[in-house]
Amino acid sequence: MNEAFFSVENLCISFGGLMAVDHVSFSVSKGFIFSIIGPNGAGKTTIFNCISGLYKPSSGSIIFQGEDITGLKPHRIATKGIARTFQNIELFSRMTTMENLMLGRHIHMKTGVLSGATFFRRGSRAAKEEIRHREYVEKIIDLLDLQSARNQFVGSLPYGTQKLVELGRALALEPKLLLLDEPSAGMNSEEKQDLVFWIKDIQDELGVTILLIEHDMKMVMDISDRVLAINFGRPIIEGVPDVVQRHPDVLKAYLGEEETIGNAS
Amino acid sequence: MDMKRDYYEDIQLLDSKVLWFWFLMLVAALATFPFIAPTYYVYMANYMAINVIVTIGLNILVGYTGQISLGHAGFFAIGAYGTVMLMSLLHFPFLLALVAAALIAAFFGFILGLPALRLEGPYLAIATLGFGMAITQVIGRWELFGGRMGVEAPALSFFGIPVMTDLGRYFVTATIAFIMVLGARNLMKTRVGRAFIAIRDSDIAAETMGVNLVYYKTLAFAVSAFYTGIAGGLFAFLLGFISPSTFNFILSIYFLAFVIVGGLGSIFGSVMGGIVMTWLLLELDKIQELPLIGGMLISFSENFMTVAGLPNISSIIFGLIIVLLVIFEPLGLYGFWIRTKIYWKTWPF
Amino acid sequence: MFLQLLLSGIAFGSLYALIALAMVIIYKTSEVPNFGQGEMAMLSTFVAFMLLDTYGHSFFVSFLGALVFAALLGVFLEFVFLRRAKDPNILSLILITLGFEMILYGVASWKWGADQRDLSFPVSDFDLVNIGPAVISYLNLATLLVALVLMVLLFLFFRYTKVGIAMKATQQNPMAARINGIRVNRILSVTWAMSSTIGAMAGMLLAPVATLDPNLMLEPLLKGFASAVLGGMTTLVGAALGGYMLGIIENLFGGYVSLEFKSIVAFGIIVLVLCFRPSGLFAKHYVRKV
Ligand SMILES: Nc1ncnc2c1ncn2[C@@H]1O[C@H](COP(=O)(O)OP(=O)(O)OP(=O)(O)O)[C@@H](O)[C@H]1O
Ligand SMILES: [Mg+2]
Repeated sequence: MNEAFFSVENLCISFGGLMAVDHVSFSVSKGFIFSIIGPNGAGKTTIFNCISGLYKPSSGSIIFQGEDITGLKPHRIATKGIARTFQNIELFSRMTTMENLMLGRHIHMKTGVLSGATFFRRGSRAAKEEIRHREYVEKIIDLLDLQSARNQFVGSLPYGTQKLVELGRALALEPKLLLLDEPSAGMNSEEKQDLVFWIKDIQDELGVTILLIEHDMKMVMDISDRVLAINFGRPIIEGVPDVVQRHPDVLKAYLGEEETIGNAS
Repeated sequence: MDMKRDYYEDIQLLDSKVLWFWFLMLVAALATFPFIAPTYYVYMANYMAINVIVTIGLNILVGYTGQISLGHAGFFAIGAYGTVMLMSLLHFPFLLALVAAALIAAFFGFILGLPALRLEGPYLAIATLGFGMAITQVIGRWELFGGRMGVEAPALSFFGIPVMTDLGRYFVTATIAFIMVLGARNLMKTRVGRAFIAIRDSDIAAETMGVNLVYYKTLAFAVSAFYTGIAGGLFAFLLGFISPSTFNFILSIYFLAFVIVGGLGSIFGSVMGGIVMTWLLLELDKIQELPLIGGMLISFSENFMTVAGLPNISSIIFGLIIVLLVIFEPLGLYGFWIRTKIYWKTWPF
Repeated sequence: MFLQLLLSGIAFGSLYALIALAMVIIYKTSEVPNFGQGEMAMLSTFVAFMLLDTYGHSFFVSFLGALVFAALLGVFLEFVFLRRAKDPNILSLILITLGFEMILYGVASWKWGADQRDLSFPVSDFDLVNIGPAVISYLNLATLLVALVLMVLLFLFFRYTKVGIAMKATQQNPMAARINGIRVNRILSVTWAMSSTIGAMAGMLLAPVATLDPNLMLEPLLKGFASAVLGGMTTLVGAALGGYMLGIIENLFGGYVSLEFKSIVAFGIIVLVLCFRPSGLFAKHYVRKV
């Protein structure tokens, strides 16, 4: 393999003097599940925010399929084929599940103001497009077992289901690269098992490359092809799960975190 | 469950025979109404139709996209003056002038939307407030627009047929309003409407899903201004005469009150809001004629206030309605309707 | 000519500065731009007029009476309406203040009609003082001085009084303030009382040069907002400076460019500032957290 599918080089960003991400580099091969771990406040979400264009990195570059996408607007990055979920759910709470997923089809649709306002027949272009994409979205709803939530407002769904709707919405974009920020947080163990299963499916059957942030170590070690551990915004080690897991600094970072938690409470 | 769905039903306006029946009944009722009702009520219906259009327009911005505007009287003024000026100065036919003026309003909406992009709630409110005031001031100072004295609306004809009575205007206004309501409803069911709502619910999620915030936020402003411009153009003919003082800041707040009363983010609510509030507005104008209450108000005014100022009570009541609804029933009439519907679950709707 | 424009610009600017200060004080604690500010000041000014004209009280009694009324009005509005909002997002808060605006406007128009009144002021608008080659009326001079004194008092208040310090703490971090035993609700009442009083002061200083009717504060409201935006909605000093700057810019524009369109300068400034420096000239910018 000559060139990485996705890579981040010397990414830095600071907030008022605090280096939230400090010279982080990594690269991900096509079809891999690449996990980022680290204690709270390590800078994981910030890396995602840089990738999806919500934050502008102070230096460094982000390369996707050989193209430099650093500093592009979020919607431009979405059209490149990068979708994400959020740690604190960001759903369109007063839309139904179906509509949330349909929004995921946004970049694949064309209907504008005039054609949208004036569809009055089944055969009109806007209606046809709408129908076609609803069919596509229905497949995702089936895949994630969301039928019962299909026509409900997502604001009223249970937390675990909301997380799935977010995943579904990201999938509806037909991403080549999918960023998942703590997808299993707040799920019970049964839901987690399903989730692992689906993530594997997304990797194997849809061929999507996945970047995963996750606190559940068992899950990370089970499904990741490679893992990057960071602390205080700085990379500690990157490698296959077994190696990363046993690295002394990683153990220390996690132990250290437990100590501070113990002190605070 | 495995039966193949008909996805058109999801977005169709009328997905059952029963609904078709009610729809046709509604159209028939709207068409016969002006022939039976006294002229005053036809005038009232025209007023209602116009306010329904504004309410929907403003709701697209405030209720659906989550952006506030305190300057919609400005777009209303552009629509009104635009239509009148294009007709009397450039001799445009009515419909063309109306659409052109609304497009001018939309253009201004677009321009105003541009700085709005970077602005959160409070700043946007302030900028739009400034816009509304600037428009009326410019119109008021410009001789071309008749200055402070205002201008008269030219004679109206629709496809060559002269329209001179409230009855005639009813058919023009109601038809346009009807089309615009359906258009808004369709728009909100499709891609653009979804993008608007997405921006309101979570702008960061919307943009990471590929919604161009700059484009859609300004588009929402433009669409909203277009609706308001159309309504303004029709309004010029309803009054027959327009002057800058008609389009003041207070009018912008009245529009907001219509939206709140109808319910944020609901087309059906906006229709109700526009109708109910117009009725209230016209009734409050002659509140002193009410039995009992009217007399009490007059004697109260004589003793403590002024009788000449009594019509201003509508301002107080509208203000109270806004405050109380926002505190106790943010979904407005639409929320009320939803709850009644749940209560009467067995109904065929 | 230039100096003259500058001088009267500063005089007007000090009114704008007062209105802007009134807004920013509320904005910093309640996080809402108060669109009722203008009407609160207008009504208080009418109260002064009533005490003076209808009941024949002395000027200072009327003036003080109006200030007390303004304070009570501010406390009342905040306590009765704003505090009732269940899930106060910015939109509903703005709407509530717009509701005040309508109610107060209605009350004033009902009570006093659309007639234009004169608020007789002990300081004359016609007697002039020479300052170098320029002149300024006693009234403008008084306005200038009153505004300055008020600002100094405000500064001392926030710096040295217990309430002032508590207010500042609340503005910076309401949660922490609550934990530290500051009664945030009481602070809110004080804030609204103060803001309303400052607004009323501006209204009463403005009324003699404008005409007293229910529309008195519609335009000044916009000017106040423009000043606050110009200086930054989150800084008191910035807002005050913004007021002076707006007054000067507006006057220079009126003198050199177009008197006709002087009144849209405020809007132009709002748009320009928001386009190029959304958080104002004197406030720090921050990144939104995701
Ligand atoms: N917009 C911002 N402004 C200021 N500081 C920020 C901002 N975003 C992130 N930070 C800071 O950057 C650091 C890293 O935050 P980040 O959210 O990336 O951590 P994380 O690794 O995702 O932690 P967690 O496991 O708790 O989600 C934190 O100290 C955080 O406070
Ligand atoms: Mg995180």
